Amino acid sequence: MTMPLGDSPIQRKLMTVILMTSGAVLLLTCSAFFAYEFFTFRQTIIRQLSTVGEIVASNSTAALAFESREDADEILRGLKAESHIVAAGLYDKNGKLFSWYPDNLVQTSFPEKIEEDGYRFEDFFLTGFQSVKQDDRRLGTLYLKADMGAMYERFKLYGAIAVLVIIVSSLLAYFLSKQLQRRISKPVLALAEIAKAVSIQHNYAVRAAKIADDELGDLTDAFNHMLRHIEEQTHEITSFNQHLERKVTERTREMEQANRELEAFSYSVSHDLRAPLRSIHGYMNIFAEEYATQFDEEGRRLINIILKNGQRMGQLIDDLLEFSKLGRRELVKSTVSMEDIVKNIWEEQRKMEGDRVIELILSELPMATADSSTIRQVWTNLISNALKYTKQKEKTHIEIGSLNKDDEVTYYVKDNGAGFDMQYYDKLFGVFQRLHSVKEFDGTGVGLAIVQRIIAKHGGTIWAEAKQGEGATFYFTLPKEPVSQVWMKGE
Amino acid sequence: MSFLRLFSYRFSDIKQNCLRTCFLLLFVFMHSISLATLQVPSKEYQIKAVFIYNFTQFVEWPSNAFEEGDSPLVIGILGDDPFGSYLDETVKNEKMGQHQLVIQRFQKVDEIKTCHILFVNIADRRQLDRVFEKIKDQNILTVGDASDFEREGGMIRFFTENNKIRIRINLEATKNAELSVSSKLLRLAEIVSPQNN
Repeated sequence: MTMPLGDSPIQRKLMTVILMTSGAVLLLTCSAFFAYEFFTFRQTIIRQLSTVGEIVASNSTAALAFESREDADEILRGLKAESHIVAAGLYDKNGKLFSWYPDNLVQTSFPEKIEEDGYRFEDFFLTGFQSVKQDDRRLGTLYLKADMGAMYERFKLYGAIAVLVIIVSSLLAYFLSKQLQRRISKPVLALAEIAKAVSIQHNYAVRAAKIADDELGDLTDAFNHMLRHIEEQTHEITSFNQHLERKVTERTREMEQANRELEAFSYSVSHDLRAPLRSIHGYMNIFAEEYATQFDEEGRRLINIILKNGQRMGQLIDDLLEFSKLGRRELVKSTVSMEDIVKNIWEEQRKMEGDRVIELILSELPMATADSSTIRQVWTNLISNALKYTKQKEKTHIEIGSLNKDDEVTYYVKDNGAGFDMQYYDKLFGVFQRLHSVKEFDGTGVGLAIVQRIIAKHGGTIWAEAKQGEGATFYFTLPKEPVSQVWMKGE
Repeated sequence: MSFLRLFSYRFSDIKQNCLRTCFLLLFVFMHSISLATLQVPSKEYQIKAVFIYNFTQFVEWPSNAFEEGDSPLVIGILGDDPFGSYLDETVKNEKMGQHQLVIQRFQKVDEIKTCHILFVNIADRRQLDRVFEKIKDQNILTVGDASDFEREGGMIRFFTENNKIRIRINLEATKNAELSVSSKLLRLAEIVSPQNN
């Protein structure tokens, strides 16, 4: 069961409670007073009439005994003083109307049958019979009829006064309660206001004003105490946070420093390594050209191995340089036609594959917002990988396409080449990590690491699915730039 | 002015009373009561009989007027009885306080015994004087309808005015007899004193 006032504000609740209580009390009091007045007045009026009746009856004994109508008439005329008595009649002992008042009243307006002694209310009249007795000898009966109109008029006035009193009192109670309820609601509202301010602005420095030393005062104290507590804790947490943040910033700076140093180191190492390697390679070339005839077959084979490895090492150092440069480069984004890039790369790479049977399925590729030179590197890498690992297949099958989603586009390159074992997947994008031997497929193991780094810098992700001997699919996503959602249909 | 008020009676009522008496007598007849009592008085005397009975209610006798607390209250009729049996019927089984109402009839003045109300049906002055002389110092309410009855020393006299029977009271005489007449009765009556003749 819900209270009717369930969700109304506390001020209205308080006022309703006060008004309802005082209204009920007032109504009850007025009704009780009214009822008391009503019954008392009826009693009084009956007593008055019966007293008059007794006096008149006592006075009219002789008139009845000696059948003196004049005397009876005169006695009854005395009732003129009682203006509310509208009719009076004297009956003789045989029950015959003997004398009546007022004179102009017709005889038929008096009851024919005499009833027992007593008074009763009939509509707006009080009527009654009173036996006329002399020494216990019944001489006749007196009939009296009093108009209660005056009484009811008076009660109408009483009712009007009661209604007026109730209205005025209710108004008074309304204004008083409006004033008095503030003493309770004001501190509560102040508390509620402050609580709201605290929860919205998170300002724990405010304090509720204490108005009185009652329970609400205690509540205010407790609330303020709680606020102080929270303020202290917040302060602690904030300072702790700031400390932590400072530490993190410090650490980050340190790490960035270390990273930069490391990159600078690897760059300089690669760079520095490249010069002597070039010398080695260059001189070895000269050596092989100039003195090849002086070596036997075995000697030439060994020189070739040295040359090949020198070349390979040069490649490794170049890739490593590329990789470390990538970390320092800023991306310059623009709207890039992926189809143009892919077609361009495909033409270049296809030429180098000779007369292999290669089937390419190129689906629609949406435009992308990216750094065109690095994204070109990604495509080059993925397409060359696909061509490389399908070399041993009789018929190469490569599929390039995209999956368009709400906030990103997924591009993929699928081949039917050697694939790889998914169990070594975590090594796939590592630097210098290779899942196949150099003898099988050449390469430095830096390519996919570079690709992953480029995609990560673009805010995208890269992953692969493969099965040993059945091919691999490489996916990468690029987020859609909200401003430049330009789509171009490939031809 | 109350003492000038007429003691009224309407004749239609007399007729009715008569009729009722007839029925009563018929009833008595049917119960084989002696026909000797069946004497119907005039309407006037029927009323007077009731009035005499009513006097017992509005007049107070001193306590020494009765020998004992429950001695009967005697209504005497001196001279010829004009009421027949009507007065007997009226007071039959009636009481004034403890006192049973009883009727006694006296033919002559000498026969008068102790009584409380004496209806004097004598017109002769000399005889009246004898009556008053005889009952002097006794607490007897004398009632009569002879002219000047109240002036000769009687207490209550019936007279007829405008077809109504009224009463006149000699208040001094009642005082002398130590009888107190209710003011209610006095209001209906004319009050006379022997001087204002």
